[in-house]
Amino acid sequence: MKRPIFWVLAVAILAVLMILGVSWGTVPLTPRAVLAALAGHGDRNAIEIVRALRLPRVALAALVGAGLGVSGAALQGSLRNALAEPYLLGVSGGAAVGAVIGVALGFSSAIALPLFAFAGAAAAIATAILIARAAGGRADPRVLLMAGVIIGAFANAAIMVVLSGAPANTMRSALWWMMGSAAAADWPQVAWLAGYTVLAGGALLWFSRDIDILALGEESATALGVDAERAGRRVFLVSSLLAAATVAAAGLVGFVGLVVPHLVRAAGIRRHRALLPGAALAGASLVVLADLVARVAHPPAELPLGAVTALVGVPFFLVQLRRLS
Amino acid sequence: MICFERVVARYPRASRAAVDDISFAVPPAQITAVVGPNGSGKSTLVRALLGMLPLVSGTIRVEGLDSATRDRRAFARRVAVVTQRESLVFPMPVREYVALGRYPHEGSWHAAGVEDARAVDDAVTLAGILPFALRSTEELSGGEWQRVRIARALAQAAPALVLDEPTTFLDIAHEMAMFELFTRLARGGTAVLLVSHQLNLVARFADRIVLLHQGRVAAAGTPNEVMRAAVLEPVYDWPLVVTRDPAVGAPALLPLRGSSH
Amino acid sequence: MPATTELLFAIGAGPRVVGRTPWDLWSDSARRVADVGVGLRPNIEAVLARRPDLVLLYATGENRAAAQALRAAGVAVIALRIDRVEDFRRAARLIGMATGDSARAAAVVDSVDRTLARVRSRTAGLPRPTVFWHVWDAPIITIARGSFLDELLTIAGGRNIYEDLSQPSPQVSLEDIVRRDPDVILAGPDGAARIRASATWRSVRAVREGHVLVVDTSLIGHPSVRMGEAATVLAHLLHPAVVQ
Repeated sequence: MKRPIFWVLAVAILAVLMILGVSWGTVPLTPRAVLAALAGHGDRNAIEIVRALRLPRVALAALVGAGLGVSGAALQGSLRNALAEPYLLGVSGGAAVGAVIGVALGFSSAIALPLFAFAGAAAAIATAILIARAAGGRADPRVLLMAGVIIGAFANAAIMVVLSGAPANTMRSALWWMMGSAAAADWPQVAWLAGYTVLAGGALLWFSRDIDILALGEESATALGVDAERAGRRVFLVSSLLAAATVAAAGLVGFVGLVVPHLVRAAGIRRHRALLPGAALAGASLVVLADLVARVAHPPAELPLGAVTALVGVPFFLVQLRRLS
Repeated sequence: MICFERVVARYPRASRAAVDDISFAVPPAQITAVVGPNGSGKSTLVRALLGMLPLVSGTIRVEGLDSATRDRRAFARRVAVVTQRESLVFPMPVREYVALGRYPHEGSWHAAGVEDARAVDDAVTLAGILPFALRSTEELSGGEWQRVRIARALAQAAPALVLDEPTTFLDIAHEMAMFELFTRLARGGTAVLLVSHQLNLVARFADRIVLLHQGRVAAAGTPNEVMRAAVLEPVYDWPLVVTRDPAVGAPALLPLRGSSH
Repeated sequence: MPATTELLFAIGAGPRVVGRTPWDLWSDSARRVADVGVGLRPNIEAVLARRPDLVLLYATGENRAAAQALRAAGVAVIALRIDRVEDFRRAARLIGMATGDSARAAAVVDSVDRTLARVRSRTAGLPRPTVFWHVWDAPIITIARGSFLDELLTIAGGRNIYEDLSQPSPQVSLEDIVRRDPDVILAGPDGAARIRASATWRSVRAVREGHVLVVDTSLIGHPSVRMGEAATVLAHLLHPAVVQ
């Protein structure tokens, strides 16, 4: 695919999806009603639905998707693993443990729970790095991956322990959080996630050349002048923290970080200086679409966001399987 | 110019030093070959040069810059290293891969300049990979991939070039072409350090041979000096005969059958 | 379970109750009875240790094995489900027969029925506020036509905005609630606090106007001898000026 076409298409698709996301929902509204609501005229409830509920939600979904896409692309390159995904490395497990503990302690506000989740994710990331360091000191991607898997397993066990003795309501809240949702989006959340995503995404973009070189392997990267251990650790840290922020905002939305980089690479984009922004756009589109599906698939109920994105994983792995054989 | 000065290096948790007090120089405009049996420390030397194995003592300097320097890019601008093995997880066009060799020269803004494009072109031509420069790396044969890797090192345009077993997957024609390329580079002023098993080719093309045995220098000198049965047999622990073919003009080594040992 | 324990005490069979679940806490006398564990998949050993003649179980597939085990041990078992108002009357009569207190049971049912009728008539002519009943908010769960709370709401003179749905506890979205525009939101104390603290719930008019009313979930939760009291409390919440 020619480069300019990809970018035009990517931006156009995202724009269309965001417009649809604001126009469609559990409550059917005519395009005129939507426009009026955006401008602030007309039915008060329609205004609330469009401006206070749908707009921040679509914005949050886009930011979550962008963050996960960028994080996944950066990790796949620096860890030299096409199946690396931000959640694989302990981020999701740690965030889930943090959130479950928060719920069990009785916190459920839109401010407290994300903090718990983020703290849990940060602890998991730090532990992964410490384990990797104790195992040998060099940033061998396989060691980092295994550390992440270990932490994930431990986190699952911890969650089961906390939930087994918990009352039904705690379990319901915890499970709902873990399945991912953009439903609790409000403007303050969108604002801090936006700032965070721009900062972390910008940092990863700055490292993009390093990631190109890291993808060659530790020896070759060192031969070309990259401090493989330091650079690898930097990318791992920033990517994981970015993923942690998305988890704090919307719970566990899996497969996006895994699938999106492949989609962008399939369009012919390889260098990370273009791959990262491309993954941001594609990821945003994917999650905005998933959120839309979650809202309109089965009214008046909402599907969990993570469930919809998980469905994306199935065809993806089927395609991968075909390529292998 | 690469200088190894009393280099001692040991792998973590190893009892014995892999490289024990090795000193030699790789002067510019010459091919210096490091040979020796498996485990003699050849590849360890390359790793130590790259800074992947910390030195217990001694120094390695390239164009005066210590290998332990923190300015990795400056070091990479002075010496290009082609390691034994490399495989890519994500394929890309060959030319793009070769262009990665310009990384040590790129500025903070990672922008490629005219000079970079020219260096890549030169590298592609020198390495003889022009016919498939636009193919994807995943479509290459073993030998083609090897030459592409060498092209990337050439794109670095460094005054020193280190190659660890660069002709493993190459057939006779390509192997000879590679050695002739190394010779051309040396004539052009590059200090070439070659680690190789191919004693006979090394004997023909190298200006100096350093023979390693159990981490130490067993012999160093011109091919005529080092390529002698008396020198090689104790190191390789195998009966052999060194002849001289008039067509070639360099010593050639012939291993004998083991039963006559 | 709470409903049956309360019934037993109400018909005077209290002294004969030898075991209860952890949530049967309404009366002090009930508290003094031994706690033998939860009502779902009960601990058979703990129950048998109290040597009962009769066990009242919550009727659900999960308890089938427990019922079989108890019957095999020679204990009489009655499986009950008290989900709706009508279930309560039936259960009361059944328990009355089983304990030999049919007369007292009938009296209890009568008393409850009379209170309910009184509430119904008090609210009959009044305008019915539309109500959203908050059960949980992550995900948002409410009650609809198939549930006891909906019945109670109707008796108390309110109208459930989700009366068109027939599942007892459907999951709904905030958008939909905003569109249906309830006059009032009923919630337990925790739920009400969370709703008031949430930025997204402010999209609902009832929240903006301060019409989030707190109900005592232990009183209101299930059909029981205190149904009359529950209906009265609810009617008072919805029509404060009219009902005492």
